[in-house]
Amino acid sequence: MWASRVLRVYVYILFAIMLAPILIVVPAALTATSYMTFPPNGLTLDWFVKAIQDEYLIESLVRSLGLAAISTGLVVFLALLVSFAIERRQFRGKILLETFFTGPRVIPLIILVLGLMIFYYAIGLYETFTGLLLSHLIITFPFAFRTTLASISSLDIFLEWSAKTLGANWFTVLFRVILPQMKTAIIAAFMFAFITSFNNVTMALFLTAPGKRTLPVELFQRLNMGGITPKVPAFSVILAVVGLALFFILDRTVGVFKYMSGGGEED
Amino acid sequence: MIDKIARSILVFYKTHRWVLMLLPATALLTAFFLVPLLNLGRIAFFPHDRLTIYVPHWTTENFRRFFSDSYYWIMVYNSLKVGMLTAFFAVLVGYPVAYYLSRSSGIERTILSGGFLSSVFISILVTTLGWQIILLPFGAIQKILSSLGLLEGPVRLLTLTTLVVVLVYLHISYAILILVASIQSVPKDKIFAARILGASTWKIFTKIMLPLTMPGIVSSTILVFTLSMSSYMVPILITGQRVKLLPIAIYNYTTASMNWPFASAIAMVLFAVTLVITYLFIAVTNRIGRRGKWEMV
Repeated sequence: MWASRVLRVYVYILFAIMLAPILIVVPAALTATSYMTFPPNGLTLDWFVKAIQDEYLIESLVRSLGLAAISTGLVVFLALLVSFAIERRQFRGKILLETFFTGPRVIPLIILVLGLMIFYYAIGLYETFTGLLLSHLIITFPFAFRTTLASISSLDIFLEWSAKTLGANWFTVLFRVILPQMKTAIIAAFMFAFITSFNNVTMALFLTAPGKRTLPVELFQRLNMGGITPKVPAFSVILAVVGLALFFILDRTVGVFKYMSGGGEED
Repeated sequence: MIDKIARSILVFYKTHRWVLMLLPATALLTAFFLVPLLNLGRIAFFPHDRLTIYVPHWTTENFRRFFSDSYYWIMVYNSLKVGMLTAFFAVLVGYPVAYYLSRSSGIERTILSGGFLSSVFISILVTTLGWQIILLPFGAIQKILSSLGLLEGPVRLLTLTTLVVVLVYLHISYAILILVASIQSVPKDKIFAARILGASTWKIFTKIMLPLTMPGIVSSTILVFTLSMSSYMVPILITGQRVKLLPIAIYNYTTASMNWPFASAIAMVLFAVTLVITYLFIAVTNRIGRRGKWEMV
């Protein structure tokens, strides 16, 4: 079985390469110098303290979390409504509508955001929170829709029929029979829509006013300007740890590959 | 009469109430996805104006300017090169990984996936910062090379080749996600049967795995190609704002010079190029499939 041994070595070497750019941020955050340097010069945790005291970073973090929370809640609700109608009803143009609903994932984000920007400018939503929120609904919708649709198609319809035969009303059927079966899929839809929204840079970069940056935009501007202090790596380490923790929880409970194939967030 | 109409409306409402469930999302996507894109196509044919940004007056000036200047042709060429190379290497490097992940289980699979899917869960800016630390002048690679005596002084590592490496790194996650799903859907008994009948590992790969996972290979190639073709953030942060790529030009014309009509025209070209290449790729892979080279088992 030399082939499988070669494959294992290959996978583990690549795994190390995948982790390298993330791990290299850690020493950059620990340096005692006031500029970024590699290898670090002296060790200190000061930059982590300074990072969480940076009001611009914290303010943009709060804005990003709020935006992701609102858009995720709305988008999963919309996706559930649509998925039920599409999965349970027969009508003409169904496939066309399904393609339309997954459309925002096929169009490159830079094209979509340019279109939105010009459109917002004409109707007065340019540089508003509402405009940004709507753009996040558009880009997270396909993810939520695909997840809920797949889940509804795997529901056991006999359970609903028997509940109805036994005298349950639609409210009871929905909350006691259908939604409990869809629990993991709904959690997955929430999580993936949230991550997509939280990490998205493009929409906020083009659509918001300079004073109202989201966290990814704030980080992008700092990296683009150059000359950053080790505060940014320190904050990045915190983000990376939270991201990886979220991944481990998701994979051990819901299963990442089960729900995420066909994703694709853009930069 | 009115009673009859009212009743039929009521009946229609009662039987078609489910249409209401489709309405909010359809309205949302029509208003903020379809209409802005159509509008973008319209603006691309308007001339630029310094005060009002564009004037509603039809012209093909933007496209004529684009196609008559070799500068923009170089951009098309560079973008295509970056997109194709990234897609090719992401799928080539990612396929064995996806195979290994689909055969592994438990905590090993979770830990490995954590590394390979990191760019899905960790902000692209965190990993790009890591790459900046590695690549920048006096960065990690140059320090290591010069301490070994292989290099003297700072060298610009920030070329298109480097860009492809970073893009493969960032987009391989999406290729792996699709490929794992595709490989997992190959029935295991087909592989067992082939093995019992004495087929070699290579033969199992070319005669069973490759043809049956072809749809996954095609769709992951298209996804990574589209993502890389239209990526602007990573090029700005890795190779700088001056690199000749279509998305960078869109970004610059939108933010710096506020020439939205010309930016729209470039966006239209980018969209068209992506669509044509995707269509050609699907057509070619279909043709190879029909010739029987990838015959289905």
